[in-house]
Amino acid sequence: MSILSLEYLLLAAGVVITYYLLPLKLRWIALLVGSTAFLVFSGWQSIAHLSAVALIMWGGALLLTKHKSRWLLSLLLLLDLGSMAFLKSYPPLSGAQLILPVGLSYFSFQSAGYLIDVYRCKAEAQKNPLKAWLFIGYFPQLAQGPISTIKELGGQLCVGNRFEPDSFVTGFQLLLWGYFKKMVVADRLVATTEALLKGGDLPGWFILGGVILFTIRLYMDFSGGMDVVRGTSRMMGIELPENFRRPFFSQSVAEYWRRWHITLGAWFRSYLLYPIAVSRAGIALGKSASKVFGRKTGLALPGALATLLVFLLIGVWHAAKWNAVIYGAYFGLVMAASLLLDPVWRSVRKALNLSSKGLMMFVRLVRTWGLILIAQYFAFTLYPDQGFSLMKRTFQNWSFDDFAAQMKAVMPTLEWIIVGLGCLLVLGVDLLCERKIDVGGKLSKTNVLVRWPVLFFLILAIAVFGIYGAGYDSTAFLYTQF
Amino acid sequence: MVGQGVSRKRKLIWFWLRLVSFVMLAVLLLSYANYVLTPKHDYGICSMMNLYRQPKDSIDVLSVGTSLVYAGINTNVLWAEYGIASYNLCSAEQPFWVSYYTIKEALKTQRPKLILLDAKPSTYTRDYSKRGRIILSTFGIRGLDNRIGAIFACVEKPRDAIGFILGLPEVHSNYARLQDNDFILPPDNGGRGADWKGYIEADAVERFQRPSLVWNNVRRNMNEREEEYARKIFDLAKQEGIPLVLIGLPNPDYANDHMYYNALWSLAEEHGILGINYNDPSLRFGLRYSSDFSDWQHLNVKGGIIFSRKLGADLTKWFALPDRRGDKKYASYDACMEQWLNRHPHFESSGWENHPLPWFVPPPDYP
Repeated sequence: MSILSLEYLLLAAGVVITYYLLPLKLRWIALLVGSTAFLVFSGWQSIAHLSAVALIMWGGALLLTKHKSRWLLSLLLLLDLGSMAFLKSYPPLSGAQLILPVGLSYFSFQSAGYLIDVYRCKAEAQKNPLKAWLFIGYFPQLAQGPISTIKELGGQLCVGNRFEPDSFVTGFQLLLWGYFKKMVVADRLVATTEALLKGGDLPGWFILGGVILFTIRLYMDFSGGMDVVRGTSRMMGIELPENFRRPFFSQSVAEYWRRWHITLGAWFRSYLLYPIAVSRAGIALGKSASKVFGRKTGLALPGALATLLVFLLIGVWHAAKWNAVIYGAYFGLVMAASLLLDPVWRSVRKALNLSSKGLMMFVRLVRTWGLILIAQYFAFTLYPDQGFSLMKRTFQNWSFDDFAAQMKAVMPTLEWIIVGLGCLLVLGVDLLCERKIDVGGKLSKTNVLVRWPVLFFLILAIAVFGIYGAGYDSTAFLYTQF
Repeated sequence: MVGQGVSRKRKLIWFWLRLVSFVMLAVLLLSYANYVLTPKHDYGICSMMNLYRQPKDSIDVLSVGTSLVYAGINTNVLWAEYGIASYNLCSAEQPFWVSYYTIKEALKTQRPKLILLDAKPSTYTRDYSKRGRIILSTFGIRGLDNRIGAIFACVEKPRDAIGFILGLPEVHSNYARLQDNDFILPPDNGGRGADWKGYIEADAVERFQRPSLVWNNVRRNMNEREEEYARKIFDLAKQEGIPLVLIGLPNPDYANDHMYYNALWSLAEEHGILGINYNDPSLRFGLRYSSDFSDWQHLNVKGGIIFSRKLGADLTKWFALPDRRGDKKYASYDACMEQWLNRHPHFESSGWENHPLPWFVPPPDYP
């Protein structure tokens, strides 16, 4: 079931109403029933696999509480993450047709994180199997995350929340905002990516513009979906962790990854990167490297290698294909290089007396965008050759003679105007948020005469300018496939 | 604590009141957006929408069917020459399964003395409506029961119906094609006003020859769904006690339709329904295939006038239809005719001089 579908809206409305009608102690049951319905509509494969994972997670966590065994944890993680890796990699490698359970990666990572937390005594094992099931099967987050920890979500799901008008209103606003970003902007930009993939004799500016627009589309698509998910949840007083914090304002690639798909990055940091970097082998490597490369660089080496590994895994997680490997390896190399060369940059900045504000901020912003864009050439293309070819052709033929014709061939002028205004609106709101202004919170507290027209505008914009209805595949969220 | 409880209760009551108002306003806004974005082409929903604006029980002859009817039956001729108060309730390519629901809906406000049912849908071979405009024509039906019924009858899978029932999912992308009159509520029927009776002039001339065919009784099976709904319409008319007449409008492509019409006529006989097929070569009433059609299916203005005269003469001969001219309740028919003449002082269609109309004064520059 797509979160763009009418079924989802009806289900979410039903769950929200039932949730508040039940006594506080029983409200989690509304979530359980709603999540089961979501999975039933998504196919038996989804409910079967998720239930199997939940059973392993629930039983495994209870066992881990009694027998704190590393072997047991490894076995449980192998079952959990191994089944995910198999399901995600087997079809593309073998050519077999398998229907993947909805939210496979998200609930697999979430359950793995829970097991590790129980093993590390950071969380208590949930004794009620249904509540354990709900933790990974909570329906809004199955569509595209976020990946929550038991500490963030477990308690909120099981303790019934009182109805709070503020949460309900800000949740509804967030939901609308998400639909606006996804349906009005992101889906309208599909045509620009298709134009790039179609090939032909494209001018360099067109390719570069297309890659930039793909990057924007990806952001609008993914963050829009997250807003819908978080908005639905917030209407019931359940706060899901933030997954995007305006990543395109980042000053470095490292910061970009701290703002983009935050919960995935946090998961890899907590459960993979840090453990590797501070492992016995990692510390030994750091000591040995210090003797060769100097103390600062040497100590940074284990972290850099762990980062490279983590990004390779993130790449492969996106898809079992070479483009994804290049995507991950590229970001891993950039991040590792930035870690290793950090002492050098610091001394250069100090020597040149470069400020961290003003013009330098802009320069760093442009540099970060440039580094991100290089990776995007491999994010939407199908084969490495295609990505490299487009990259090469970006620097050729910068003739603007057919500008108008090229643009119109992608989509009519009116569509460009709509997408442009939509992007400007999102940019404006993001700029305000970047200045620490809580736009949603402020809007929810303003006078009805201001708030309602804004909300009606969003509703009408989505209803009229949204891409949906006949001929539209509403399952086409870019990140649902993960 | 008690004070806090009361304050929260008051806050919540106030909140729910605002929420209900918000939802109502949002529904209103979306309904208007749906109305604006729904295509109001001549061949679409206008005649159904305008039916609700007709005075109650002011229609004696209800002509239901496809574009053949709305282009062929000139309600102004029937009114001016015979005093017949008739209304064309049609849309392009309207199958019987839509006609059934439009008739049911019309009977909520009108009690016609006669229903004319276009025979053309008997030639349609589809099980459902692939063409959006057929389903969109049902958007004019206000009654939810009949609208939903018509939509479900049109779509291939029940799941597809929800988009049409809600409306916006199917029409929202029309924003690029909006015109000023799309915003007018109630609709102006393409500038024709509320008195319009559903006649749409096809103003062109295309030359054809009289269809060449052997006039026999050989039948070709109708599509099962068309047959099912034709039967339903016959039963509905019988149940309501309203005489129903099948009508075959002349069209140059008739040779391809003949065997289907035979099947429908035999079906009608089973139900004791009368049918008049004006494609019958023995019925000569002055129609010229060389000048009286606007395309391969539709009568043009001149052809429509000739045909409507013949139809009016036949209807008054066979049915006791009252002459409503001069009755104040039927003043809208005079207004409709007047507006039609004002809007179209002359047509491209040739041959007016051979068919002078007592109520038609050709303009001075008329050739």
